[in-house]
Amino acid sequence: MIRTGLLAIVALAAAQGAALAQMRAPPASEAACEEPTLRCATKATPAFGPDGTLWLVWMAGGQVSVASSQDAGRSFSAPTQVTTKRLNLDWGPDARPKIVVDRKGGIALAFSTFRDEAFNGEVLYTRSSDGGKSFAELKPITANNESQRFEALALDQDGTVFAAWLDKRNRVPAKEAGRKYEGAALFFAASRDGGATYAEAAIARDGTCECCRLGLTFAAPGRPAVIFRNIFDGGVRDHAVITFTDIATPGEIHRVGTDDWQINACPHHGPSLTIAPNGTYHVVWYTNGKARKGLFYAHSRDEGRTFSAPLPLGQPGRSPTRPFVLAGPAGTVMVWKEFDGEKTSVQMTISRDDGETWSPPKTISSTSDTSDHPLLVSNGKRTYLSWMTKADGYRLTAIEDQP
Amino acid sequence: MRFRFASIAGLVALIASADALGASPALKPFERGTWQAVIKGHAGRPVLVHFWGVTCGPCKVELPLLGQFAKDHPDVDVVTVSADLVPNLPGATQAMLDKAGLSSTENFIFNDGFVERLRFEIDPAWQGDIPRTMLISREGTITTIEGSAEITDLEKWSAQQLSKR
Repeated sequence: MIRTGLLAIVALAAAQGAALAQMRAPPASEAACEEPTLRCATKATPAFGPDGTLWLVWMAGGQVSVASSQDAGRSFSAPTQVTTKRLNLDWGPDARPKIVVDRKGGIALAFSTFRDEAFNGEVLYTRSSDGGKSFAELKPITANNESQRFEALALDQDGTVFAAWLDKRNRVPAKEAGRKYEGAALFFAASRDGGATYAEAAIARDGTCECCRLGLTFAAPGRPAVIFRNIFDGGVRDHAVITFTDIATPGEIHRVGTDDWQINACPHHGPSLTIAPNGTYHVVWYTNGKARKGLFYAHSRDEGRTFSAPLPLGQPGRSPTRPFVLAGPAGTVMVWKEFDGEKTSVQMTISRDDGETWSPPKTISSTSDTSDHPLLVSNGKRTYLSWMTKADGYRLTAIEDQP
Repeated sequence: MRFRFASIAGLVALIASADALGASPALKPFERGTWQAVIKGHAGRPVLVHFWGVTCGPCKVELPLLGQFAKDHPDVDVVTVSADLVPNLPGATQAMLDKAGLSSTENFIFNDGFVERLRFEIDPAWQGDIPRTMLISREGTITTIEGSAEITDLEKWSAQQLSKR
């Protein structure tokens, strides 16, 4: 009787211990492994150099590394580690390291780390001027030490590197004045020396959503254009576009559409923007608003002032997510992820008439475990899907040039 | 006497082991198949499943209200699932549940690197926005509330469920 009682208690303690041990382990990882190698990466971002070399920056094992490929992603050079120690890299769903490669082969990078457990971030940048063999010491993109995250980089024709990010510095004066402060602010800074140093940060817009990626490109030389999730009146987190009148002067804000998504939370699901050589803006985004829910596409033929009626993307029953758009040599391409209960696929559609009509969506890649966002990258001749997957590693897939 | 001593010793060992591991024994891993198990496990009873997360602002406001609702409505099975878009640490999750008066409800935390699959099993249309509340009737009909739930709506639903007994 006594023995039974004891055994039962011991068994209970052991069972509970096992369950607890399971919960104390780190959360089931999104990474295939924990080393800094590409195979272990959770986020990988591509850029083509002027000579057709594919450059890839990735985060894995708490480090950021860069490597290049001369054979369209089939093999990569020995990686160069950008970080010298394991950092608390921003692992939010919409965070990733950024890369631009200029005409001289200079490589500018930026990425975020977490400063603390409250998800306050710091944007760090660096540059390589020796073809990716080495990178300069990491520096913060601004001296302000509140919080910066969700940086984006874009390269102007003259080699100027333009950076934009979400910055929470304005919550300090708001708090001191007893005012409520929601979200963050869109900040920017330009570098005239290829990303070696950046000008002082300036504000483009206050009261933006704080945790969605930005879409950033150039509308014309000297004129960056950015799409972001703004906070409109009543806490409505819909998308907006700002086109700069010059590198230091943000233009007016224009709303992409009235989705009417009132949410006092972080959707962690940002938009994408590309501008065709003829000046058409193509945008894709996710919303869960009162007016519409899901992924949508729209275009603007008046420099981002007004947008076409939102076109829904994907099959609603398959959780369409993470849309990306790129105007490339063969047409404007959109990709997004869908999930069928077992596999995540990347769906692709292409428009050859500047966004008026789109081909039926087609599966161009799939995987059976977790994956990074699907990205598009162009070398001026072809557009490629760039996709990091846990089960199958990194993939670069040419978008087939067919109707 | 010896029996009592053994029990106490066992109990002390149990508490010590739980304490040493630093997590609450109440928090269960939410994995593949857990959603169907929850539905089956509560079949025939009204169930309120609340999806929330430590980093979600409105969840912090809603959670204590839900704690009070659970206390006031013992006939409704309240289940919580920490389903943040960024992984939550079990310690922080449990602390918020305790503070909200939800220590004794059935509490889960997402525990799968392939979160798309977990969400798809629950609702293929769900992209992970929280808070989110799913009300499951005795007959198994699911009503989904996106965003913060109005407690008056929960009261109304609960009253309807109880009147069906």
